[in-house]
Amino acid sequence: MAENEKEILENLGEREYKYGFTSAIETETIGKGLSEEVVRLISEKKGEPEWMTERRVAAYRHWLTLEPPTWAHLTIPEIDFQDIIYYAAPKARKRLGSMDEVDPELKRTFDKLGIPLEEQMALAGVAVDAVMDSVSVKTTFKETLAEKGIIFCSISEALRDHPELVKKYLGSVVPYTDNFYAALNAAVFSDGSFCYIPRGVRCPMELSTYFRINAAGTGQFERTLIVADEGAYVSYLEGCTAPQRDENQLHAAVVEIVVERDAEVKYSTVQNWYPGDREGRGGIYNFVTKRGLCRENARLSWTQVETGSAITWKYPSCILAGDNAVGEFYSVAMTNNFQQADTGTKMIHIGRNTRSRIVSKGISAGRSENSYRGLVRVAKGAENARNYSQCDSLLIGDRCGAHTFPVIDCRNRTAVLEHEATTSKISDDQLFYCNQRGLSTEDAVGLIVNGYAREVLSKLPMEFAVEAQKLLALQLEGTVG
Amino acid sequence: MDRILEIIGELRKAGREEFRVTTPVPQPYGAVDPEHLRVELAAGAAAHLVVLHTKAATSSLDVELAEGAQFELTELFLGETFCTTNVRQGARSRCRMTTVLLAGANVGCTVDLTGADAENSLGGTFLVGGREHAVVKLRTNHRVADCRSDSTFKGVAGGEAVGEFSGLVYVAQDAQRTDAQQQSRNVLLSDTARITTMPQLEIYADDVKCSHGATVGQMDADAILYMRQRGLSEAQARRLQIEGFVGDIVRRCGVEPLGEAVLELAAEKLEKL
Amino acid sequence: MENNMLSVKNLHATVEGKEILRGINLEVKAGEVHAIMGPNGSGKSTLASVLAGNEKFTVTEGSVEFLGQDLLAMPIEDRARLGLFLGFQYPVEIPGVTMANFMKLAVNEQRRYRGEEPLTAAEFLRLMKEKSAVVELSSKLTSRAVNEGFSGGEKKKNEIFQMAMLDPKLAILDETDSGLDIDALRIVATGVTKLHTPQNATVVITHYQRLLDYIVPDVVHVLYKGRIIHTGDKTLALKLEKEGYDWLINEYDK
Repeated sequence: MAENEKEILENLGEREYKYGFTSAIETETIGKGLSEEVVRLISEKKGEPEWMTERRVAAYRHWLTLEPPTWAHLTIPEIDFQDIIYYAAPKARKRLGSMDEVDPELKRTFDKLGIPLEEQMALAGVAVDAVMDSVSVKTTFKETLAEKGIIFCSISEALRDHPELVKKYLGSVVPYTDNFYAALNAAVFSDGSFCYIPRGVRCPMELSTYFRINAAGTGQFERTLIVADEGAYVSYLEGCTAPQRDENQLHAAVVEIVVERDAEVKYSTVQNWYPGDREGRGGIYNFVTKRGLCRENARLSWTQVETGSAITWKYPSCILAGDNAVGEFYSVAMTNNFQQADTGTKMIHIGRNTRSRIVSKGISAGRSENSYRGLVRVAKGAENARNYSQCDSLLIGDRCGAHTFPVIDCRNRTAVLEHEATTSKISDDQLFYCNQRGLSTEDAVGLIVNGYAREVLSKLPMEFAVEAQKLLALQLEGTVG
Repeated sequence: MDRILEIIGELRKAGREEFRVTTPVPQPYGAVDPEHLRVELAAGAAAHLVVLHTKAATSSLDVELAEGAQFELTELFLGETFCTTNVRQGARSRCRMTTVLLAGANVGCTVDLTGADAENSLGGTFLVGGREHAVVKLRTNHRVADCRSDSTFKGVAGGEAVGEFSGLVYVAQDAQRTDAQQQSRNVLLSDTARITTMPQLEIYADDVKCSHGATVGQMDADAILYMRQRGLSEAQARRLQIEGFVGDIVRRCGVEPLGEAVLELAAEKLEKL
Repeated sequence: MENNMLSVKNLHATVEGKEILRGINLEVKAGEVHAIMGPNGSGKSTLASVLAGNEKFTVTEGSVEFLGQDLLAMPIEDRARLGLFLGFQYPVEIPGVTMANFMKLAVNEQRRYRGEEPLTAAEFLRLMKEKSAVVELSSKLTSRAVNEGFSGGEKKKNEIFQMAMLDPKLAILDETDSGLDIDALRIVATGVTKLHTPQNATVVITHYQRLLDYIVPDVVHVLYKGRIIHTGDKTLALKLEKEGYDWLINEYDK
């Protein structure tokens, strides 16, 4: 009868499937399509150990039995999984000589976001090393991290240099059986990041700036694994406020976080993938599985600012397995034009005295659809579990949708769970008031939206909070008046 | 239950299959274990209807309220009935619903607000114990502008019982100035009971006031202590607390002596939880 | 001693393993008013909770006799029925439970405990009406749920109203004056004074002298670090008001 962790992990996944789409990518190394052979070939090309190859194959075989999930409040065009290239050697980007060659539109956006010049260059593909010694910057980071015994590298490197750690933790939080996209990722993941913070070590810097310059172009099936050993701490930032263009339409990433006893991980995401044009053509499909496992007294905090992608499907979750573990989820999801987002979290309370908090702020504009979907589950043994959820929706315009789909499932009588949701719009009175004080309508909307999202933005590392604020305002351009 | 049957027996019998009410002065009607019932209220008409379900059977109820009609519906579940209730409300109509489950019934209820200024208010509760399994699915559709809906469902589960509530408020595009509130409040009395609640909002109009809330909790230990300090036994304090929790819902049961009779039955049930 | 009502001897109590009361000795006789004063965290509220029987606290040593019975052996409700009333510092809200319903049960439980017949509905209503006058509690409040949506002052008045209804032998009022404006304080304090008789006793736990302007104590105790470190008459409260606790504390800490 007892619900053990494993069972819960397995049940978290879901088994449904079908569908596809076409994307026009030219093949270079391995041809289009997916087969066991292709999976083995990917593993071989990456020079992986045999156990890894076998895991990929097992994942692939399992994937074949699955169908894409259809329960989300999303309209997903059919995806043709045989029309995708699953392995391409990272293409060398065209190097630009100087900032003058950068698309002025892109440059304007960078300026508005206030991104430092060096980073702008890196992001725009200007040969950074020509103007600034990025290598030395990286080296400095690496040295500081190495002194503390922190491992921070690509998954491929980790497989080569720390196979025992990867073998132990990869797939331990998000097994390939979890869901359709997680299985696909487990079979064909291209690369991603690996981070290990040893016992008792407090990572001295946000693993962010480094990451932002470094991790461009990790591909469409990204895999991230973060392990904070007992008593360790790390704050990790994924993504970037700058608009990211990618040829690949389908992105199916997996992020796994292991937070051992007394450890703490803060994971912040700013997602600004290409959302498609005003008519809803193009744009990234972002189908992500993110989950963390918290042991005794561990704490995991997810913060996300989602403004990009044509379709977003992601539910960063916390398995609160150990006693006194704490899970948090702070989210701002903004959709405009024809974007669709179905995002939220799962808080699975297994240990005693586990706590979780959910703050979700949805903003819908244009003809977009924005849904919060969440699960709070309290297992039998989770004495004194507590959850508080607040899910707000803000509608801008009368042709968009804002939805809230929480599930609360409680099997322990000592639990106290609260969920609240509200829906509101920016009132004409608020706008008039701001206009009267001399603000333009656009500025007023930006101001009001930032106020609305403040609770979440304040959880981001300082510099990103500022950028994210600007990003929201930028995304709102042209939504009112 | 005999007392309740007696009270309902004194009411006018609701037609076997279909009945239509045209009088503006509300009359109380009663029905016991109807297989299918269709109720139509003409424009401006008013009525009370009490439906008692005692059997493990299927049952369906369709209610159509014309403009300005006023309807009060009380549904009591004392058996494991599978029941579907559909209420369609025209402009300026008012519907006040009370749903009380004292058994593991399965209740699906859809309310369609199809005329401006229609108003629906629903209060419900389930009390389940033993191995009972109660399911309540509520859907409120705001199809047009300027309607109001308000629902509160309170669940209590003890023993090895399961209580499931799902409530969706749907607001169609252009259903502006909708005012929709929904609350799901639950208490678990044992570690082997289970409560699942899914309050949902699906909203396509921007000028709306919509909110929902859901809680799962336990009896307030401080309140128990407080009552005991005033000389109440622990059992008395607990019963008083649960009665306080569901009492307002149970007392809604429109027709006069019915509320108290149902509360009595609910209290008996609580003793056993 | 025949009129000895409460006799606390060497009382030690802990909460979550931490010792809060470290040897309390206290004798209260019928007809007396005692004031217990002391700085924050000295154990005043704990003493009240332990006497009332709050199970959060564990008594590790000592004895308490109340009206000739072993108080510590009794569950909280029996202590109440025997005639011990605790006025809560933070009265608890009980949603959906009406004051009338609650009080009727409480009064009749007490009567049953004493072997008396329960009150009829009419008798009870008469009692409610009579007693609500003691603290000028509006009859609107008595028809509402217990403490739900009451203001701070109303909650405290409601405590004294319940005290009037239950007519305890010993009332322990835990910071009944906190959070009250001057009018509410006067009403509450006057109510307590009205209820005082030679047959009952009152223990007032307070921070401030101002309550003692209305409820004049026969004995004033200073509680510090879980012990009564000084006892005096009503002039002690005035001295404390003027000079604070430091002179006592410094002496004790030495």
